Amino acid sequence: MTNDPIIKINSLSKTFAGSSEPAVRGISLDIEKEEIFGLLGPNGAGKTTMISILCGLYPPSHGKVTIDGMSLNGNLDKIKQIIGVVPQDIALYQMLSARENLSFYGHMYGLSGKSLKDKIELWLNNFGLTDAGNNRLSTYSGGMKRRVNLIAGILHEPKILFLDEPTVGVDVQSRNVIIDHLKELNRAGTTVVYTSHHMDEAESFCSRVAIIDNGKIIVEGSPQQLIAKNEGCTNLEAVFLHLTKRKLRD
Amino acid sequence: MIKLLAVIKKEALILHRDRVGLSVLFLMPMILIFVMTLIQDSAFKSLNERGIPIVFVDNDKDSLGISIAQGLLNSGMCSLNYTIDGKIATAEVLERAVSDGKFLVGVVVPKGATEAIRNNVKLLVKQTLGESDSIQTQSESVEISIFIDPITKKSFLTSVTSTLREFISEIKTKIMFQTFSEELSELIPDKENLPKNAFAQSQIIKYKEVYASKQIGEIVPNAVQHNVPAWAIFAMFFIVLPLAGSMVKEKNEGTVLRLQTIPASFLVLINGKIIVYIFVCLIQFALMLSVGLFILPIFGLPTLNFGNSISGIILLSVATAFAATGYGVMMGTIASTEQQGAIMGSLSVLLLSAIGGVWVPTYVMPELMRNISYFSPLNWSLNGFYELFLRGGDIADVLLASLKLFVFFLLTMAVSMVVNKIKRKI
Repeated sequence: MTNDPIIKINSLSKTFAGSSEPAVRGISLDIEKEEIFGLLGPNGAGKTTMISILCGLYPPSHGKVTIDGMSLNGNLDKIKQIIGVVPQDIALYQMLSARENLSFYGHMYGLSGKSLKDKIELWLNNFGLTDAGNNRLSTYSGGMKRRVNLIAGILHEPKILFLDEPTVGVDVQSRNVIIDHLKELNRAGTTVVYTSHHMDEAESFCSRVAIIDNGKIIVEGSPQQLIAKNEGCTNLEAVFLHLTKRKLRD
Repeated sequence: MIKLLAVIKKEALILHRDRVGLSVLFLMPMILIFVMTLIQDSAFKSLNERGIPIVFVDNDKDSLGISIAQGLLNSGMCSLNYTIDGKIATAEVLERAVSDGKFLVGVVVPKGATEAIRNNVKLLVKQTLGESDSIQTQSESVEISIFIDPITKKSFLTSVTSTLREFISEIKTKIMFQTFSEELSELIPDKENLPKNAFAQSQIIKYKEVYASKQIGEIVPNAVQHNVPAWAIFAMFFIVLPLAGSMVKEKNEGTVLRLQTIPASFLVLINGKIIVYIFVCLIQFALMLSVGLFILPIFGLPTLNFGNSISGIILLSVATAFAATGYGVMMGTIASTEQQGAIMGSLSVLLLSAIGGVWVPTYVMPELMRNISYFSPLNWSLNGFYELFLRGGDIADVLLASLKLFVFFLLTMAVSMVVNKIKRKI
C-alpha cells in the first residue's frame, strides 16, 4: 500500500435547496490508494450525501474534492471513467435479465465484444448467478439482485469503487460472498469507499473508518485504533454507540 | 456509437417486454380508429343514405305540399312518414309525437297554402299590370309549421329549413310564371305564340358540389379520410404515457442516479430513447394507415385514399413522430412520479388534441379557440395530413407544418435539458 491519497476532500459542505441545515459540514479527509475506507454513521448522518458528491451526483456547496489528482470540478467525465458506483437502491432494469443489465452497463463504460462477455460470465460465475443469468431481474431474490447490482459497478474494473450499503437486506451467505469479492478486488488494486450500518462487517472489512454524525466527522482511524482509544469499548459497534449516543435518528 | 446502440437495445427490450404498454401503444389506437370511424360513418349515412325520419302532414294537398314532400324525399337527407302509429298524422298528433321523441322533426303544410300563394301572386301580377290598387288590397300569409325535438342538431335543422325555403321559393316562382302566362294570354290575342310556361319548367341556375382538390381525380371526403389521420396523430402523441412512464420509472428505481455516474452524456442516454420511440411512432402510424386501407373496407367503410404524395406522408409522419417523442421526453423530465407523468401526459395530450381539432373540427370552434388551436402541434400535423389526404397536396404543401413540428421537437428537448439541469442542481 502506498501513502498517496487517491481522494482528497477539503472543507466539503453541502446544503440542499430548501433546507437550512447542511447535510455535510466542512469535512476534510484523505483516502489513501488501495485502502478500504468505511464511512459509518447513523441514519441521516451524511454518508450517502458524501458518496453522492464524490461520484459527481451532486455538486458541493463549498469545498474542494480531488480524485486521482483531478479536481471534481471540471474533470467529472474523466473521473467517471475511473470510478465504479454501487448505489444503495437496486439500480437495475427489472424487465431485463442479469446478462442484459450487465451488458448495458458494460457498454456504457466502453466495454464491448468478447471481453465484455467474458467479464460478465466471470462475475456471474463468481457470484453464483450463471444459471439464473438469463432470467428477468424481477424474478430474483433480494440477495441475487444485490449481487447483480454490485457486478454492474465493478465490471469495468474501476480504480475507485464507491459502495453505499452494499450488503443491506441480504442473507449471511450473500453478504460473505460480496465481502470476499470486494476484498479480492481491493487486493487487485481497487480503492474501496464504503458505507454500512453493519459494524461487525466494517470492523473486519475496512482498513480505516470515519464515523460521521450530523454531517461532521467525529473520529477517524483504523477500527483497532478506535477501539483502543475508547475506553470500555471492545468492538466497533460499542465505539459507534459511545460516540453517536443511543438517541433515535430520522 | 457503442453507447448509443446499447441504449437503443436496452429501450427496445424493455418496451418489447411490456405487454400492457405495447397494447396501449398499438392495439388501443387501432380500436379507437375503428370505432370512431364506424360511429361517424354511421352518423354520416343516417343523414345521407337512409335519412332522418320526418313526419309530414300535408293539409294543402296541392302544388306546394306535393312539391315540398317531393323535394325533401329527393334531398336524401330524410325519409317521410305520413302516419304515426298506423294512423294518418294530423297536426295535433304530430306535435305530440315530436314532443314524445318519436320523431326529430315534423312538418305541417297548412290547408290552402298553394291557393294563398296563387292569390298573392295574382295580386302582385295585377299590381304590376296596373289592374289593382295596392293600397286597398292585402296579401295572405302562408305559415308552414316545423315541430322540432329539442335534441335535434342545429345543423340538421338548418338543412331542413333551407330545403323548405328553397321549395317554397321554387313553387312560388312556378305559380308566378303560370299566373303571368294566364294574365298575359288574356291581353294578347295571338294565344298560339305564347310561351307554354317553359321558363317555369326549367331551372336556369343550377349548382354543382365540387371538392376543391389539387389532385387529378377527386378525393371524396368521408369518415375514413377524416378519422384515420386524426386518430393516428392522437395515438402517436399518446406515446407520452409509456415514454414519460419509463423515464419516471428510471428515476424511481434509481437507475437514473446510476446513469448519472457513468461516463455517458444525457444526450446519448436520451437519444437512444428518442430513436426507439420515434420508430415506435412510425410503426403506429403505419398500422393506423393499414387499418384504413385493409380493415375498415372489410366492414363496408370506404378505403383510405393516400392522396398522391408518399414523400409528403413520410416527411410529415416523421416530423409528427419527432414532435410526439420530444413531448414525451419533456413530460418524463418534468414529472417526478409515475402518477404525475400519467396524469400530466394524458390530460395534456387530450387537451392538445381537443384544441387541435382531433375531436371537433376547428372550423366549428369559436374564434378564440380557433386562434388557440394554431398553437397545438396536433393541429399542425392534422392540417398537414388533411392537405395530403383530402386536398391532394404534395410535399411542398406540408413543408411548413413539418418544419413547425421539428421546431417543436427542438423546443421540448431544450426545455428537457434545462429542467434536467435545474433538477440536478439540488
